[in-house]
Amino acid sequence: MPDPTDTRARDRAPVDPVLLAVLANRMDSIVREMTNTLLRTGRSAILNTARDFSCSIVTADDRLLSAAEGLPIHIVGSDLLTRSMQRFHDDIREGDAFLHNDPYNGNTHHADHTILVPVFHDGVHLFTAVAKAHQADCGNAEPTTYAAHAKDIYEEGALNFPCVRVQREHKNIDDIIRMCRQRIRVPDQWYGDYLAALGAARIGERRLKELVKRYGPETIRNFCEEWFDYSERRMVQQISALPALTISGSGVHDPLPGLPDGIPVTVELTIKPDEGRIVADLTQNIDAVPNGMNLSEATALSSVIIGICNQLPTQVPHNDGSFRRIEVKLRENSVAGIPRHPTSCSVATTNVADRLINATQAAFAQLGEGFGLAEGALGQGPGFGVVSGRDTRSGDVPFINQVYFASSGGPGTPGEDGWLFYGIPVAAGLMFRDSVEVAEQKYPILVDEIRLLADTEGAGTFRGAPGARVSFGPLESPVTVAYTVDGNSRPPAGVRGGQATVPHDVHLIHPDGSWQELVTVGAVEVQPGQKIVSRTNGGGGYGPPEARDPLRVLDDVRNGFVSAERAREVYRVAVVDDAASGYVLSLAETERLRTSRR
Amino acid sequence: MGYRIAVDTGGTFTDVVVADPHGHLFFSKGLTTPDRMFDGALEALKVAAEEIGVEVPRIIQDADVFVYGTTRATNAIIEKTTATTALFCTEGFPDVLTLREGGKLQPFNFRLPYPQPYVPRHLTFEIRERVDSQGNTLIALQEDSVAHAIAAARAAGAEAIAVSLLWSIANPEHEQRVRHLIEESWPGVPVTLSHQINPTIREYRRTSSTAIDASLKPLMQAHLTAIEADLAAAGFQGDLVVVTSAGGALTVSEVVSRPLHTVSSGPSMAPVAARAYADHDARTQNILVCDAGGTSFDVSLVQDGQIKRTRETWLGPKYQGHITGLSSVEVTSIGSGGGSIAWIDDGGLLNVGPASAGSVPGPACYGRGGTEPTVTDAAVVVGYFNPDHFLDGRLALDADAAREAIRSRVAEPLGIDETAAAEAILALANEAMIGAIREITVNQGVDPRECTLVAGGGAGGLNAVYLGRELGCPRVLIPASAGALSACGAQFSDIINDVTVSRFATTASFDHDSVNAVLEEIDERMDEFVRNLNTRADVAIDREYSVEARYPHQVWELDVPLDRGRVETEAEVAEIAARFHDVHERTFAVKEVGQAVECQYWRGRLTARLAKPRIHDREGAGPSPVTHRPAVFDGAVVPETPCYQGRTLPAGLSVPGPAIIEEPLTTIVIPPGTRARVMPSGSYLVDTDWSDDA
Repeated sequence: MPDPTDTRARDRAPVDPVLLAVLANRMDSIVREMTNTLLRTGRSAILNTARDFSCSIVTADDRLLSAAEGLPIHIVGSDLLTRSMQRFHDDIREGDAFLHNDPYNGNTHHADHTILVPVFHDGVHLFTAVAKAHQADCGNAEPTTYAAHAKDIYEEGALNFPCVRVQREHKNIDDIIRMCRQRIRVPDQWYGDYLAALGAARIGERRLKELVKRYGPETIRNFCEEWFDYSERRMVQQISALPALTISGSGVHDPLPGLPDGIPVTVELTIKPDEGRIVADLTQNIDAVPNGMNLSEATALSSVIIGICNQLPTQVPHNDGSFRRIEVKLRENSVAGIPRHPTSCSVATTNVADRLINATQAAFAQLGEGFGLAEGALGQGPGFGVVSGRDTRSGDVPFINQVYFASSGGPGTPGEDGWLFYGIPVAAGLMFRDSVEVAEQKYPILVDEIRLLADTEGAGTFRGAPGARVSFGPLESPVTVAYTVDGNSRPPAGVRGGQATVPHDVHLIHPDGSWQELVTVGAVEVQPGQKIVSRTNGGGGYGPPEARDPLRVLDDVRNGFVSAERAREVYRVAVVDDAASGYVLSLAETERLRTSRR
Repeated sequence: MGYRIAVDTGGTFTDVVVADPHGHLFFSKGLTTPDRMFDGALEALKVAAEEIGVEVPRIIQDADVFVYGTTRATNAIIEKTTATTALFCTEGFPDVLTLREGGKLQPFNFRLPYPQPYVPRHLTFEIRERVDSQGNTLIALQEDSVAHAIAAARAAGAEAIAVSLLWSIANPEHEQRVRHLIEESWPGVPVTLSHQINPTIREYRRTSSTAIDASLKPLMQAHLTAIEADLAAAGFQGDLVVVTSAGGALTVSEVVSRPLHTVSSGPSMAPVAARAYADHDARTQNILVCDAGGTSFDVSLVQDGQIKRTRETWLGPKYQGHITGLSSVEVTSIGSGGGSIAWIDDGGLLNVGPASAGSVPGPACYGRGGTEPTVTDAAVVVGYFNPDHFLDGRLALDADAAREAIRSRVAEPLGIDETAAAEAILALANEAMIGAIREITVNQGVDPRECTLVAGGGAGGLNAVYLGRELGCPRVLIPASAGALSACGAQFSDIINDVTVSRFATTASFDHDSVNAVLEEIDERMDEFVRNLNTRADVAIDREYSVEARYPHQVWELDVPLDRGRVETEAEVAEIAARFHDVHERTFAVKEVGQAVECQYWRGRLTARLAKPRIHDREGAGPSPVTHRPAVFDGAVVPETPCYQGRTLPAGLSVPGPAIIEEPLTTIVIPPGTRARVMPSGSYLVDTDWSDDA
């Protein structure tokens, strides 16, 4: 067994600065190679097209070392997973692999199946290669991986694997495989996805072993410490440039059945520039709620850390070294804390987590001009929903998967407009968009429209990205669409004078063309001839819209993101439609509009 | 056989390589003349003609083939000087180019600007129609929406039209009809149809191909027609062929109708030349090709004599540039070269690049006002570059300026001496290159230890042996043509035409008739290409077949070669499955034996092999004067490092490291523990693991 103290030894030999940079790049490229493996070999579209998975490397003493472009909500807290691996197993050895999806022991939520492969050199455990992948199905009672209304783990119905061994001597333990095959919808798809995650972790293992062999375990251990220290220094520098203040941020998730006032979240942030430290307090949040919206410990931690990192002006390496400068206080049995079994955390990776990320990044805007971010789009509408049913085109076979072809807008920032294909705060533009053609080939659906909508952006000096309208329906037989919208009654807000965006809503369009509003969180069986349509949020704006560069406004009008009327009303910019040359800017009129307001 | 002329025009220089009727190669270089490309080529040709001892007009009249490589299309896209292009898309989907396929680097960075679409929204027009995945028409083409789009595009000043409708690959009738309507009401405007330029699923990639192709048509048609006319006026009667991104060439008439194929063709010829030299000098067909210039480092791969290809070629950064969507020579490119700047970040970490000093002001040692330390400066400080004999003595280097830049910007902040700092800069630049090489090899299941590394480009010799050693390549080849690898590649290129047809089949219940009908269609299209080839050069025709396959539910395919252009027996089906399982395990560490294999894209590649120059032995080398100067290897100064003038070294000579060999266009560093051998062709073959007592 490893001695956890020897990697923390302070009297280690210094690593020369060149090797430090060399090995840091090498670790990132190992993670990228793992990522590429999972993307290329995954079977469900949520993996092989949308990339809802993440890979990381954790040291044997449970510190996150590298995650490259992994989804932050997945990878912050990877150490909680490896910690439980060591707590539950005292006979870990080479050739093992573990399956972990238990939110009470460090995982994000049941739908994220994590494969952990411990990496050995000469019999000593040095690293753990981690591949976490969102499944198309995880055996829930309802055909969705987001059981919003389940009041506890029993109603959820997911198979729970509290870090169980799934391979020994590089061979599957078939008992586990059989359990999954019996309980997870479309078992061949699940097994292919299992192989994809396993392959990714094994590729990571292979490369890490080569690396340790090449440089020796001592050098590698020293590298890890130096790299953590370097990352920590970078974070300290960022924090020490901030003012010493305590600020707080809050948000309220839309109302849900039994929760007419929604779910409030709050975070208090104490910035200590002298110590180079930020303390985030989540203990003031309400108790766990009787549905699937509660955060897991991993997602409560990561939401705050993401919110803080999102608004830093300079990029720092994201690992245990930089994260240890952020202290997060959590309370047991809180909606945004440490859940007690059997509290359900089925939706822990999105809705409340998204609210918390928004609350945190927007709170920093209180520090002054140039700080913080606006709020980003919320909710996984039908265009990001889980679709299921039977495909009659190829012999009536069942299908289930999360689609990812909608679009919603990113937040305005101190120097740039919102990122356009953003998704939600936890996805943050990192995920890939489904091809409509691939989706229609794989599932018996027909997509009607995916269109960015004018005048949906949160106006600002730097505006939020616009929202979109997405509509689709079944081809021949009914399709169930499960979705979890937020941002309907309280759309994402702007900061520092920036404005909020439009509400996110869901409708059913009947064959006669009439629109029927649907609940914001639910599952609907859409019949042939019907279409389900959602209008997504844009992002909130940053700074007052009347301070926006008129040339940016002109571009927005030309490209149909903002109407000429809205340009005039909200941005105080006069854009006129000149018959000969299209839209042009009237500078004099703009000047008049902008000065007359003051 | 007559002359064969290869011209490679870059942004600054035009390289010319002429093969005489005996297959001897002559190299020359001139300045590019953007207004009239032919002038620059002619100037460069004069130099070569003088060496051959024949007048230029005579060479042109007696040439069988003129191979033209151009960065014109690529540069036009970068400089945004392509035609104003309108996009006609299916109603409801105007944002395909804006939304792309998502993805973003730097997870926590929200200050990146969102990339602009290739065609802006205000030039995108919706056509009312819809086809489903099976090719059924759900909404018939509404011709009034086409008429409206044409009128609006014309009013908006469009000069070309891209038509990309959903599922046109399953049923192309609507796209064809739209073209017909455009031709009727607006004759002469260039049009590209998506199902023709790139018949692949995934609407973003196909639309991107279509938009880029249409936007290039006016420009490339004019450009190539002018070259053709200039050549004809000079008495040229041979075949004018144009280099493509697939690592081959196409006739002018083909390229005029699909100019997209010339985009990113720049780096595609280096592996063609490298392959020829590796075969000749090292008798190997498995090579890693590194082409290192002043600002970029391009890596490509040849396996079993086949140049590696990809369908993901981005113009600009991944996710943020534009994807060409074509199957092209796979080139991993990083912005790292002699001009890359070294700097210290606020955490005290050394970084190299991505900023480059370019040629103005250039590295500090160029003495043109540059003060930032670059990779070239580091090479001067450690003694690899000879300040008095850089680029054959054409550029004197200021060693003191190099030392000062490194001292003040790197050595002092890090608290180390200049030599250590210079070594660190070189090591870090190497690391980025190793990362690029690993991306194209290990990430795809290729073991660099089984490859010979072939290095070209002006900066190629500096670290080629080091890279080879670090990656475990047993041998490194620096070919005699290293300084002009791309133009030289055009001398060894063939006419290549790919035909791809999408047809689903599964090994679980293989439909032989359906697949063989597709393969037959591929053959027919290749036959037609041969009929139109109409070449006067001697050609031999080769055909190869492959299929892109996957496990059920996967959406990314792996390439599986077929032994012939038909699949008739069950044994052949089993062989497809077996090959797929193997390549999947090699690439991704896992396989699912017993699982069915789905076949999606069937591909035929027709190669019209042109006669090639031969690589000749170099003639009579003189005596070899050796000078000595201090240089740093692995942290220690070797005071009396021998330096050789490459052109004087006799074939068969063995040069043990440490040593430095100076060639006119590159400097080759031979570290200790390695050995270079001078090959009869003038190439250097280096053993990366060699000791005196062996």
